[in-house]
Amino acid sequence: MIRAGAAACVRRSRALPALLVIFWSLPALAGRSHAAAGLPAPDFALRAVAGPNVRLSEHIGQVVVISFWGSGCDACRAQLEALNQDFSRYQGQGLRVYGVEVADDQAAALHFARGTPVTFPLLLDPAKSVARAYDVDNLPMTVLIDRDGKIRQVVRDFNETSRRDCEDELRRLLAE
Amino acid sequence: MLEVPLPLARRPAGRCLTVKVAMLAALAALAAVPVAFAQTPAPAAAAAAPAMQSAGGDGVDAQVQSLKSDVLDLNRDLFVLEQELLYPANTQVAVFVSIDAGTFFALDSVQLKIDGKEVANYLYTPREVNALVQGGVQRLFVGNLKVGKHELTAFLTGKGPHDRDYTRGATLEFRKDIGAKYLELTITDDQSKLQPQFRIKDWE
Repeated sequence: MIRAGAAACVRRSRALPALLVIFWSLPALAGRSHAAAGLPAPDFALRAVAGPNVRLSEHIGQVVVISFWGSGCDACRAQLEALNQDFSRYQGQGLRVYGVEVADDQAAALHFARGTPVTFPLLLDPAKSVARAYDVDNLPMTVLIDRDGKIRQVVRDFNETSRRDCEDELRRLLAE
Repeated sequence: MLEVPLPLARRPAGRCLTVKVAMLAALAALAAVPVAFAQTPAPAAAAAAPAMQSAGGDGVDAQVQSLKSDVLDLNRDLFVLEQELLYPANTQVAVFVSIDAGTFFALDSVQLKIDGKEVANYLYTPREVNALVQGGVQRLFVGNLKVGKHELTAFLTGKGPHDRDYTRGATLEFRKDIGAKYLELTITDDQSKLQPQFRIKDWE
């Protein structure tokens, strides 16, 4: 009787650390970002302001840049114009750029899109599903995706330094 | 490229999922062993490595390729098992989409509702539409339904004749019996009316 009780106690003492590890790791797993560098980029299909619908998974083998923008964000316009320069420079090397609208009403988004002279497609995400999948918490936010469809860099700002870093990473990705 | 899955063939009973997972893990571990050794060569062995690589390199490569092939086979079997577990044949219902001709309609999106509840909403790219026009069939939805009467409604949007925005619906009341139910949403050209035609019918 005493032996059985002792054995149960030992089993419980062994199980306890394992349970604690599981409980501690649960919040970390739940809060894990979907859009961290090294993870596969979440696929999406969206309507464009002008032109055909776009599905991300159709661009495996190309370097893709996704820039999240909102109509009330001045830095977004500057970011999109900077990306437009990169797009016209590296389009021939397999670069694709998409601007995805976030947290806007459709009329404001369309007005912003018409006033932003870019040659790459601007996409509408009325359900905000893509913004959620990429954990957009700041505007502008730029995601660089490599030719294998994996996220390589997430830039949550737009300034001279971030622009230079982004361009350097882009060149590296295109050279791979 | 569009996924064009075929109706699943029944697998022999008694194949255990856990055994497959264990085999997959073991194969993955085996495949990782040569890589792990290759990354950390001992100093003494490092000098002799080039000569040995040329002699035995081909054999190891062949083994690795064979293991990769086995892993892919197991992965496929696991996928089939997963599908069978998630959508048992008794309750399974699947909806396929096909386009015949498509001169009068450029497909943009399809929304599916079963018994008034949205079950699928798909946005098509030109590449996907092209694949359908060329004869591809897309499995748009697979799910489970109880035996009895049900209603399937499909709302289609796109560009109709004269490049006008076009939205149409098609409805089918069907009875789900014991056994899998396959339905097909077809988009055809009605040459007499010069209009597209949408129909839902039993998969043949």
